[in-house]
Parts: sequence; structure tokens; C-alpha cells
Amino acid sequence: MSLHLDNVSVAVPDGADRRVLLAAVDLAVGPGEVVAITGASGSGKSTLVAIAGLLRAPDSGRVRIADVDATDLKDRQRVRLRRDRVGIVYQAANLLPALTAREQVAIVAHLSGRKGADGAARATELLTRMGLAGRLDARPAELSGGERQRVAIARALMNDPRVILADEPTAALDPELGEQVMQLLVDESHRLGAATVVVTHDPDHASRADRRLQLHRGTIGEVAAR
Amino acid sequence: MYLALRELRFARGRFALVGAVIGLVAMLTTMLSGLANGLVDDGISGLRRLPMTHLAFQQGAAETFSRSTLTDADLARFKAASGGDVEASALGVSFVNARTDGGKTVDLALYGVPAGSFLAPRGDAEAALEGRPGLVLSEELEEQGIAVGDELTVVGVDERLPVLGFTYAGSYGHVDIAFTSLETWQHLLYGDNAKGRFSAIALRASDDVTPTAPDGMEVVTKEQAYGGSPGYTGETQTMAMIQWFLLVISALIVGAFFIVWTMQRTRQIALLKALGASGWYVARDAVGQLGVVLLLATTAGGAIAFAVGGLIDGTSVPFRLAPGPALVSLTLLVVVGLAGSLAGIRRVVAVDPALALRAAD
Repeated sequence: MSLHLDNVSVAVPDGADRRVLLAAVDLAVGPGEVVAITGASGSGKSTLVAIAGLLRAPDSGRVRIADVDATDLKDRQRVRLRRDRVGIVYQAANLLPALTAREQVAIVAHLSGRKGADGAARATELLTRMGLAGRLDARPAELSGGERQRVAIARALMNDPRVILADEPTAALDPELGEQVMQLLVDESHRLGAATVVVTHDPDHASRADRRLQLHRGTIGEVAAR
Repeated sequence: MYLALRELRFARGRFALVGAVIGLVAMLTTMLSGLANGLVDDGISGLRRLPMTHLAFQQGAAETFSRSTLTDADLARFKAASGGDVEASALGVSFVNARTDGGKTVDLALYGVPAGSFLAPRGDAEAALEGRPGLVLSEELEEQGIAVGDELTVVGVDERLPVLGFTYAGSYGHVDIAFTSLETWQHLLYGDNAKGRFSAIALRASDDVTPTAPDGMEVVTKEQAYGGSPGYTGETQTMAMIQWFLLVISALIVGAFFIVWTMQRTRQIALLKALGASGWYVARDAVGQLGVVLLLATTAGGAIAFAVGGLIDGTSVPFRLAPGPALVSLTLLVVVGLAGSLAGIRRVVAVDPALALRAAD
């Protein structure tokens, strides 16, 4: 499995008590498989992405990325594993205002220590594949919502990740654009052979995934197979 | 610096604004450095240029010429004690007020030096001191219209002394210096009752010799003697205090800007960390960005101050910009500015990468 969450639990302080965000969640996603996770607000969807993306550590349980157990890794090792093996697509794209589309993508190579023309060439290739060949030098303020999200997908693909995580990637888009972005994610995941988790509240978008799961009050359950 | 440099270009208006503030502080610091140098020059340049290394004062005179009185006997005692390792010469220093025939008054810091002494400023001035009584004046006074052959009347004793020549520009206690022979100086101060008295003993010793004082005298270095110049200590301390205040203000400005800028960029910093940047990387990027602004702004501020200083130099304002002290001030400004930014660096390093996601649901 490319992504494996084993008995993962997370709780946060809530007054005198603790509120459970994830309760003993098990999740396994294979190479090239796209899993859609739906659920109401507060069901733990974003927490699941944060745990799977090594952005926060679980209170208990284990997380494995590309056969590497990340649970007990040191901070620096976790950062490196996330950078090299995980691509994350955020809600509302989350681009850096000062960078052009090409730079948004190339910065991933820069952070990985691959400086120079290679990073820019790879970024250009990815953006061209996303249909943004004419928008390479545009900054986020000059891009439409759909274009911004496609830049974000290109950025997530920059390091050929083994795991792709997308947190409500279509939430800020109109239905048609949302469809296109979702299809793009599914196609790229299959092409790359990456284990992909897409958090969405849209049942139509979720139906494009290979498997659907639902989070309810921190517990996960299978909805339907495609 | 991948993101830092691009942000500098992108948000150039914002950085120009803080850069302008830092530049103005740099300009003010440099101008103050020039003013401090000018005041120091005005206070002690006449003493600094005397070719000596130490001074011996009367015990308890606190390096002040007006409080020290020594005699020929003290000089002989000193020479006997030093055994010829140190050159020693009597030196009289006092302030007098003189009037030109045109009615113009000039203040003079009057140095009485023995003819043939190593203290005599230059060959021609030395020759002038050997002849009839007269004055060898600072070049500054020549620029004020006094010429060789003019006669100055020393107010109080009504003694008329001719101007014999001019020597290097210098002042002591903000008053232009004038040389005269020790005998003339004694006559002006004590009349016919000098009894071989003078202010202090000027000493010239090689680097490896430290003169020691016989009983009743104290030896200080030439630099220590600057403190005896009227107002010198108070002026230099005041200027230093203003400069330190400016440095602290600069650190606070930079620190406050850095914290506000960091708070505005929290989501972006979180995203960078989520993309794989280490805490060290984002800290280096942020401080480096500020370092570029600091460097450019202080360089510009310093350059403008030198340009303005060029216009002031030569006027009656005691102002002298020396590249060394100005460079030290500007470097301190950059260092203190960077230190100010360190106050916010913990915020940068501590940003949670999970903030790149929306608030956890």
C-alpha cells in the first residue's frame, strides 16, 4: 500500500473535555487508487488529510507512506518524506501571491535542492499538461479559480508523489470547473500510480473516485464501490 | 532566498516604505557621526596634533590644564627620573581673548611652548617663536581675514602681539589654537612673577616605554587628556547616547515591521513548510529578505548623508564625516536591525504547516 493509516486517533481539547476528531481510523490506499472521502463539516476530513500528509502527528496509531513508517520519524525526516513522497492540493489553491504559475510549481524542486533550469523545465511541462501553457508567467491574482487549482495540482505532482492528498479541491469552483479539476486529479493519479485521497462534500465528484468512504464523527466507513 | 527576492519585487511598495524609514535613520545616524567627529575635532584637534604621547599634570588636576601648575623644578625632576628614555617639554595652555586693530575679537587657546621644543609645530613657526614675542595662529584664523603682520591685543593685560605666522588648523575647547613662546605665555599669565610656572609637561615616548610620574605628578596618555577639554566628555557622551538611542529605535522599527509582516504571511509560511521547507529555511529566507532591505536602505541613507555632509563641510557647523566611524555606525545599524528581526524569528519557525490546510473541521 502507498498510504496506510493504522488505528489512528486524534482528539483536541474542548473546554474541560476532549473532542475526538478521528477515532481509531484505518485506511489503506493502493498505488493508482483514488479514494473519495465525504462527510459533514466537523467530521474529521481535514484532520485526516493533515495526518496522512504528515502535517500533524496522531495521538495514537501509525502512518505509513510508500512503505515508510512515518510515525516515529524525527521532524526533519517527516519534512523530507512529505516533500519527496506526498503532493497536497489545498482548498482554494493556496498559492503564493508573489510567484508566477511556473514559479509556484518550480519552488517544489527548489525546496528539494534541485535548483536551476531543470525545475523550471519540469514546471513548464506539468503546467502545459494542465492546459496552462499560455499562463506560465501569470501570478495568482491574474488567474481564474480553475486555473489556480490546476496550478496547485501541477505543484502537487512536481516530485512525482506516491501519495496525493486533495482537501476540498473543487469547493471554490463552479460545478463544471469542479468536474474538470476532479477528472484531472483522477487521471493524473492513475497515470502516476499514486495513492490518492480526495476530500469532497460533492457526491458527483466523489463518484468519479475508485472507492468512496464516509467520515462520521471521526469514524470511517465504506459507502460504495465504483 | 527563492521566495524572499521575488516577494521583494512583488511587494516593493511596502518594502520601499520600511526601507525609507530605515534609510532616514541611517542618514540621521551618519549625520550624527559627522557631527560627533566635528565636535571632537573642535574640542581636541589642537591637542591631538601636538607631537606627544603623554602628558604629566599636577597631582589631582584631573587632566585639566587650568587646574595644573608645574614648575621648571618639576620638569628637571621628571627628566632626572625618566633617565632620558622620554622626551619632556614644558607646556602652557590657557584661554585668552584678543582683539584686532579693526575691533574684531577672537578667542584663542594659547599654547606656550619653549623655543626649540619638539612641540613647536613646523620649522617656520619654530623660527618665529625664537624671535621677538608674537603669535603663530591656527590656519582657521587666516581664513577669517587675519594676516601675518597684524597685531592682536590680548584683552585684560592689554599686551599687543604681532601675528608671526600660521600653522595647522586646530582647536582646543572649541577655540582656535595659537602658539607663542613659553616666556611670552608666562608673561601674559603671571606678569613678572612667573617663577618658571607652566601647565603641564608634554612627553614623547616610544611605544615600548610607559612614562611614570614622580611624586606630585600624574601621567596620562594624550587620549586620556582629551577628557580635560572643556565640554568634551559631556558632548561625546551626549552624541553617543543619541546614536545608541537611534540604534535602539531602528531595532524596534525593524522588529515591529518583521513581526507584522510575519503575521500577515503566516499562511504563506505554513504553505512553504507544508511544501517541505524546514524551519531553518523559512527563518533564513525571512531574515535574508530583511537583510537585503536593511543593506540597501542603510547604504542609500549613508550615501545621502555623505552628499549632504559635503554641503555642510567647511561651514561654521562643527561637522566632519570620516568614512571609518560612519561605516561602523551603518554596520551597527544593519546588525542591530537584524537583531531586532530575531525577536520575530521564533514566530516564523513556530508556524504550524497544518495551517496551510483550512482550519481543521
